[in-house]
Amino acid sequence: MTGTEHAVHRSLRTRIRENQRPAAVWVAVLLALVALEAGALVDLTVVLVQGMVKAWPFGNPGMAGIESAKAAAEAIPTLLSRETIPNQGWRTSANGPWTNTFLGLEPMVAWLLRFALTYAYVGVLIGWFLYGYRLYREHYRQADWTPTDDVVRRFRSHSWGKFGFVVVVVFVVMAVFAPTLSPALAEENIENPYSYEMQYFDEETGSVETVFVGQANSQSTSQGAGDDNIGLWQYDDFGRFHPFGTMPNGKDLFTFMMYGARVSLFIGLLSMGIMGAFATVFAMTTAYYKGLVDLAVVIVGDSVMSIPQLLLLILAMAVFNGHWLEGIYNGGLLIALVFGLSGWPGLWRAVRGPAFQVSTEEWVDAARSFGQRPSATMRKHMLPYVVGYLLVYASMTLGGVIIGTAALSFLGIGIDAPTPEWGRAVSLGQPFIATQSWHIAMIPGLLVVAVVTAFNALGDGIRDAIDPQSEGGESETTAAAAGGGGG
Amino acid sequence: MSQQPRRQRTASEPVLSVENLRTEFHTDKEVIRAIDDVSFDVHPGETVGIVGESGSGKSVTARSIMGLVDDPGRILDGSSIRFRGEELVGKTEDEYRDVRGDGIAMVFQDPLSSLNPVYTVGNQIKEALKLHQGLTGKAATDRAAELLKAVSIPDARRRLTEYPHQFSGGMRQRAVIAMALACDPDLLICDEPTTALDVTIQAQILELLNDIQDAEDLAIVFITHDMGVIAQVADRVNVMYAGEFVEKAPVEELFANPRHPYTQSLLESIPGRGDADERLQSIEGDVPTPHGAATYCRFAPRCPKAFDECDAIHPAHVDVGEEDVEHTAACLLYPDDLPQEEALAIHQEHQTEAERTGDGDAQLVDENTPPEEEQ
Repeated sequence: MTGTEHAVHRSLRTRIRENQRPAAVWVAVLLALVALEAGALVDLTVVLVQGMVKAWPFGNPGMAGIESAKAAAEAIPTLLSRETIPNQGWRTSANGPWTNTFLGLEPMVAWLLRFALTYAYVGVLIGWFLYGYRLYREHYRQADWTPTDDVVRRFRSHSWGKFGFVVVVVFVVMAVFAPTLSPALAEENIENPYSYEMQYFDEETGSVETVFVGQANSQSTSQGAGDDNIGLWQYDDFGRFHPFGTMPNGKDLFTFMMYGARVSLFIGLLSMGIMGAFATVFAMTTAYYKGLVDLAVVIVGDSVMSIPQLLLLILAMAVFNGHWLEGIYNGGLLIALVFGLSGWPGLWRAVRGPAFQVSTEEWVDAARSFGQRPSATMRKHMLPYVVGYLLVYASMTLGGVIIGTAALSFLGIGIDAPTPEWGRAVSLGQPFIATQSWHIAMIPGLLVVAVVTAFNALGDGIRDAIDPQSEGGESETTAAAAGGGGG
Repeated sequence: MSQQPRRQRTASEPVLSVENLRTEFHTDKEVIRAIDDVSFDVHPGETVGIVGESGSGKSVTARSIMGLVDDPGRILDGSSIRFRGEELVGKTEDEYRDVRGDGIAMVFQDPLSSLNPVYTVGNQIKEALKLHQGLTGKAATDRAAELLKAVSIPDARRRLTEYPHQFSGGMRQRAVIAMALACDPDLLICDEPTTALDVTIQAQILELLNDIQDAEDLAIVFITHDMGVIAQVADRVNVMYAGEFVEKAPVEELFANPRHPYTQSLLESIPGRGDADERLQSIEGDVPTPHGAATYCRFAPRCPKAFDECDAIHPAHVDVGEEDVEHTAACLLYPDDLPQEEALAIHQEHQTEAERTGDGDAQLVDENTPPEEEQ
């Protein structure tokens, strides 16, 4: 609907009603795509709620309901799930065929297939959203051009930013689809290995035996010396495939990493949300009202900033030890709260400047001069200019939070075992870094670096996209390093 | 210079009545008295001009009336801004919001920056419509298109969906005026609305304002540094210098018979007014920054007619016009029908009076004229 056709202003709803086909097709395909993975998405939501309720101090209201919801979620047919493409099986005879795996493929191939298909699915989903945006531009948007178009165009030609985007997507997919991507379930392999049994072909007895997962783990450890190592891309003696090898206690490192991503992302996003909310509200109000309000927030912000974050975290973990708040996500919520409540001044300072800048624009005065409410003026006429900066600094600070969480777990005061956290993997693998079991600490370490760099790259990309004048400006990767140092 | 018939002042109550307005800015280093003891009235349907150099306090006057003086600025006690009889000074932000838009609307200097570049023009006009007339959806769109038509923008419906950058400067200023009209105000403050525009567009905008004023019986406060524009739009003019009004007169009287040396210099510095072969006059120096109540004439350092007492006595407004014309100037040279000593004594008396009552209510005051009532 370009050029001459948009002479009359109509609402988006009317525009869609008048030209239903592209929108209908798009929504239908989207629903179909979501339906393919509905089970996994519902499951994620249920798991999040469950984590909250589990630690609730005043009884466990509705726990039974949540359990049944979880069962229901698992019952939803899902295309890319462990049930459809199982990878955990066993041989029936020496070098015989595999049973219980997908099409009798060997576990590695079955797992690889599921892994690749999951990422392909996400790729298609993202592509579909981009296509949806194009459809909207072609068929439904009234204006030929909006400032967003330029932002999108600049981001598309920003390789560094795109690199960050891709890695961040990979990371987020790890967190969201952890049960699908892992060779084993965390519940079975990591959290309660002695509650689950598994079967394998025992070469000595020449028959299929049953063993506790925990027992199998204890015979698949990676501890550096001698033969005691399951390295990258290896099978253990129980016919289990370990893409990243095993940990010193024999648990699967890849599974650990996937579920660990969930924890990191949860903490990162929650603390980011808290920081973002504080930073936005304070930046808007201080820039709008200036004067005393500004001074008050400056003083409060500086006071909060002067508290050493690491000490505060250690203190909070000690004080809340055993408290129900600490129980939620094995301390994850508490860490997120401490990061969020102590980290907002940094983010607020970063956006305070732009907020003040926009508050002096004449259109803000114009809005005030025709009697617009302060909240509406801030939201409509100031916030859009700050959101970009907020995104940039938020994505950089997110990297800092992830490093901080990993650092805490490395020190043994972060997320409690058995909940996986990357920093703890580094800590566990540290004694073996110079041996053949180097992978235990190295892979989580590299992944932390990659994810944090990616969040910075994404931040750089967004910044250059929203503010072309900054292009070629100095890289702000140091921001995350500073954030990490604080945690 | 004026091409339109002057409106007759009606006997009605003034829409806006500003008295002894003083606005100060408190910074870490100093206190700046941006507006010092400014008083004027605006009646329905008339245009009051405020003219002065950059930095003379014109815009702060406008912002003071709108209640938009931001920290560290503040309006001093004793100032009074009455709109439709209601005192605005001391109102809370919430109370002020009821006046803004509904009562007083403002057109800003730069039409590029007074429209938000990320929203369509229609969106912004409808924002005002929703706020003040409760219109949404189609009704708002229709009304917005009518408003754009009213400010002579062709193809209004399509224009509503366009962004400010797709408008030319003149178009943008029309859209801003449409936005102000969407609030249906009684008083429109135009803060240099034509300064950023080229001359032909300027003329169109001035004409437009004139038409709107006639149609809606709108009172306008018109702020500019351009004497030519003032001559065209204003009914009465206040000449502002360093935060004070130095001369007040009906527009024709002011141009025909400027009394204050500052006004005279201003008029001399307009190209094309004097003899063709004379060099254009300019006023040497800059507008000083006032830091408190004046105890001397602020124009004295640049005044060609200054004498010693100018540095010691603060001039009060005295009647300088003919019998039936309200024309006052704040200059020690007047009243010129008295010997200089007596004239100085009058000013001196007002200054002492002002100091005694605490602050400068040193208004007009020729004993014969009742102070300020019909201003």
